[in-house]
Amino acid sequence: MSLLIVDEIIKEYDGVRALDRVSLKVERGTIKGLIGPNGAGKSTLFHLISGMEKPDSGKIYFKGKEITSFEPHEISALGMGRTFQTVQTLENMTVVENIMAGMHLRLKGGLISSGLWLPWIRRAEKEALKEAKEILDQLGLLGRWKSPASQLPLGKQKILELGRALAMKPDLILLDEPASGLTPTEVQHLSERIYQLKNDGMTLFIVEHHMEMVMEIADEVVVLDNGKIIAEGPPYVVRRDLKVIEAYLKGKRADA
Amino acid sequence: MVKTSEKEFRKRDFFYLIPLWGLSLIVPDADDLYSYHSKEFKRREIYYLGAVLLLPLIWSDPHFHHLMVLAGIYAILALGLSLFLGYAGQISLGHAAFFGIGAYTTAILTTRYAFPTFLAFWASAVAAAIAASLIGRPILKLKGYFLALATLGFGEIFLVIVRESTELTGGVIGIFGIPWFSLLGFSFDTYLKQYYLTWGVLLGLFLFSKNLVRSKLGRAFLAVAASEDAARSVGINVSQIKTGVFVVSAAFAGFAGSLFACIMSTANPEAFGLGFSTLIVMMVILGGMGNLYGPIFGSILLTYLMDILGRYQEWSLPIYGVILILLLIFFPDGIGTRLGIRLIYLIGYWAKKKKRDEGKL
Repeated sequence: MSLLIVDEIIKEYDGVRALDRVSLKVERGTIKGLIGPNGAGKSTLFHLISGMEKPDSGKIYFKGKEITSFEPHEISALGMGRTFQTVQTLENMTVVENIMAGMHLRLKGGLISSGLWLPWIRRAEKEALKEAKEILDQLGLLGRWKSPASQLPLGKQKILELGRALAMKPDLILLDEPASGLTPTEVQHLSERIYQLKNDGMTLFIVEHHMEMVMEIADEVVVLDNGKIIAEGPPYVVRRDLKVIEAYLKGKRADA
Repeated sequence: MVKTSEKEFRKRDFFYLIPLWGLSLIVPDADDLYSYHSKEFKRREIYYLGAVLLLPLIWSDPHFHHLMVLAGIYAILALGLSLFLGYAGQISLGHAAFFGIGAYTTAILTTRYAFPTFLAFWASAVAAAIAASLIGRPILKLKGYFLALATLGFGEIFLVIVRESTELTGGVIGIFGIPWFSLLGFSFDTYLKQYYLTWGVLLGLFLFSKNLVRSKLGRAFLAVAASEDAARSVGINVSQIKTGVFVVSAAFAGFAGSLFACIMSTANPEAFGLGFSTLIVMMVILGGMGNLYGPIFGSILLTYLMDILGRYQEWSLPIYGVILILLLIFFPDGIGTRLGIRLIYLIGYWAKKKKRDEGKL
């Protein structure tokens, strides 16, 4: 069974259909890309999957469970991590604490036991710190583990955000425009990390406006235009699809 | 919190650093937030503890003791509020109500039902916490100004209830004759004993808060303050965390209220109004948000300021207002935070200069 199933989703804003009967599947251990011109409904779809908004009709299944009416934190708790289009690092914490914040659900500790710093809390915190440092090491951020997260450059903050999602040990990670605002070298760096994650068995679902990156790393690509799926398949097929080319050219003309 | 504009050292910082140098010996650094690695007890903290323990013995003026007792009670309240305001990033203008609930619980239990004060002390915190958990769920869905107004409304409703239910609370006159705090037959009946009582309770709650903010819950508080969406994305139940921190800060206020009732031996509604709520918020903001020493320092500062200004009679309020405005203009992040940041950059500047000089040699 597919890890994530989106079934006939409809979402309207003031009578305008942002998403019209969108259905797709994400298989375990693959990278799925979602592309499309501006205003195609990519972000809306992501908001619906992560529970920040509710669809007007249709259903979403994650790990075989229907999550359509779940709250965002409940969906995260099921094992779905995500990053944001505008980077949302926790700026009031250190780099390592950002990663440890991602471990929230895996750590035990109630109000009283944390306040009294009981032995098992102490042990758990120690192990969490060690594990967070290992994650930072993998991401190449260990050198700055103590510095405030707000002092990292944007590219590193995006990687830190990815690290925070990884710390949850999720089954699926949603990446919302990971390349936006990054320099070409930073994009390259990020692509390598993402590819590495896939090799480690992670499932990723990427929304990206920046087509090159998705075409390079995704196993399968879905193209969305005006709230409808117009093409789906491996990158080399989608790239040659006439409807896709048309949709992107239309977007280009509208931009100019 | 560190703002980007304050990242580099400016030469004119020297000028207002010099007179404040002395203060820096008392005020802690702002690095509390960022120093995961150094959250164990440091030598400096032992000095603070020593100062708190020895000061009233060296300076044996009863007026000083009394002021420090008040400052200690306010500090407990401000400490609780700083968890809510400084860590979780929420605003409350109704904390005086929880303080009042604590005071009235102790007053009623001890005078009507002859409860031992020690039990009433715990019951007060529980009562305040229950009240907070009841109003927390609906109120904490609001944000920013709306939350401020809702909590303010709660504070006013509490006052009306207290004034009107004369049977239980004695109405506007209040309740008199609350016994001294006593524990196992030992009565805290002098200012000096009360000093150790309040500062002992403060120390315990301070340690509790310090542990809390370095645990996963502390990170959750900060995450809620930084970005609720990001907090949800890692599975943090935002409304549960907000209610939790609200309940904890209300329980702190309950403890403080109970001590206040025992020490003043009265409880009347005039003490728990909006003015008092804003005073506590001022203590937290002036002391510095996002670190736990800030509220303690802020409450000592404002308690003294009010005492000194009390000599100027009718001029006291205008002067008080002007001083607050000036402090907020020059120390918008709180005295502790601002000084700490300045000192860190100053030290950094010196260290770099030294390195440069050595490099030249």
